[in-house]
Amino acid sequence: MIEINNLSYQYNNGSKVLKNININIKSGEFVAIIGQNGSGKTTLMKHLNGLLKATDGKITVCGMDASKTKTSILASKIGFLFQNPDHQIFCSNVFDEIAFGLKNLEVPRSDIESLVNEAAIKVGIEMYMHTDPFSLSKGQRQRVALASVLAMGTEVLVLDEPTTGQDYSEGLEIMEIVKELNLQGITIIMVTHDMELVALYAKRVIIIKDGTVLEDGPTEEILAKEESLALSCLKPPQIYSLAKKFHKQGFFKDSYTVEDMFDEIICYLEGERDASNG
Amino acid sequence: MQVMVEYIQSDSLFHKLNPITKLLWTFAVLILSFIFNDPIAIFVILFSNLLIASVSGIIKQILPVIKALFIFSFILILCQIFFVNEGKTLFYAIPYFNLGKVTDIGLDMSLVMSFRMVATVSTIPILMMTTPMTDMVVVLVEKLKIPFKYAFMFITALRFIPTFMGEMEQILQAQMSRGYHSDTKNPFKKLIIIIPLAIPLLVSSIKKIEKMAISMEVRGFASGPRSNYRKVSMNTYDYYAISVFIIIIIGSLLFL
Repeated sequence: MIEINNLSYQYNNGSKVLKNININIKSGEFVAIIGQNGSGKTTLMKHLNGLLKATDGKITVCGMDASKTKTSILASKIGFLFQNPDHQIFCSNVFDEIAFGLKNLEVPRSDIESLVNEAAIKVGIEMYMHTDPFSLSKGQRQRVALASVLAMGTEVLVLDEPTTGQDYSEGLEIMEIVKELNLQGITIIMVTHDMELVALYAKRVIIIKDGTVLEDGPTEEILAKEESLALSCLKPPQIYSLAKKFHKQGFFKDSYTVEDMFDEIICYLEGERDASNG
Repeated sequence: MQVMVEYIQSDSLFHKLNPITKLLWTFAVLILSFIFNDPIAIFVILFSNLLIASVSGIIKQILPVIKALFIFSFILILCQIFFVNEGKTLFYAIPYFNLGKVTDIGLDMSLVMSFRMVATVSTIPILMMTTPMTDMVVVLVEKLKIPFKYAFMFITALRFIPTFMGEMEQILQAQMSRGYHSDTKNPFKKLIIIIPLAIPLLVSSIKKIEKMAISMEVRGFASGPRSNYRKVSMNTYDYYAISVFIIIIIGSLLFL
């Protein structure tokens, strides 16, 4: 689906932001890209839909050479959800906003309505179709932006810190939508700082450090590499560290979500109670 | 893209001059450009501007501005040159049909006009690049008695240009990710396609300005008389420079 070979990028002033990046992402994956601010995560993502053109190396996205194809053409295959939805919202109602991308792709008028409705239902904003998007909350505006990307029928969805500026439940709601989309076969690439989201949702983690790939592997494996995470000033989620400590003492398995942990503890306590009763 | 009015740090003598002196310099250039009616003399003034820019170490940043100004001045020449009928005919723009007569007086006049424009306008970016905005405000408010609010409005507007340009870049990228393309030749379409960029920029600017207004108010903006931390004073170089301007202006008046 996405092949990045020896990608390098430098700004006009000569500073190298990306050095020799090799990443291969298959269809249907859920990848989290983590790393410090300024490590080159967002720069890397902008290469995927041709917003930036590689100085060196090759990127193939859905069979197209991303550094030679126009962004407006790549846009139909690869969708971007940016940090700030206000950078794209400009219509006076949600329907037009979602339809914007479709009009750009010259989708026939008869198809637009059904595609827009479909996308709105996917993200749960179908009741706001005729509302002014600026009157919605940040989380809802983010979902409008997501719907406007989805309507274009993207196969890959790139999320750039999708939960910033939203409260915890709004953030989780959007992540649940994203998870659902992933189950429907859309490849997800998520740039984030939130290790809890990484642990909960991502199947694979890539750590970017100073423009190079520091680690790349399944989430469980990467979360265990505390030194690599520390190099990027990151820590595994607390619940994960706690579970690990218990695991070292011989309790529980190496699980890492709050729910898993809760189930384990209940299971253990019930066992204790039964033992003391019996 | 480099914004053409940003301050560029340097230790040059011109940087150290009082903003008032530099303001007087722009006026001196303006006066001199109108005293002379000879393209060569005005070109010398323009050259002196470039000389000042180069000793201030900003020549690299100023040259693109001058280049852009010369494009305008060329248009100015084109507008002017064919409408002067007096003088000797030098050549025709379209020789075969004898169309577009260019006379020596016409050429002279349009060159004077275009050089004058470049010479006077180019002082402004030189002034901006060599003077920290805060110093400029201190001078405007304390010496020239301009109300602080207006001076503040002026520098804030300048300060926001690069911010808005960065914002614009992000908006453009966000829209391009939704299949937006700006490459159309049709001028009417060009007007319409600006909307997806203009509205988010407008909305985010208003939000930004609202936030800024609040953060200024909570820090006591406009609460009463204010003092200035920076002191900008005249030193001997300023007096030398001002005397030089006066001597040159009087000298050229006498010379004519």
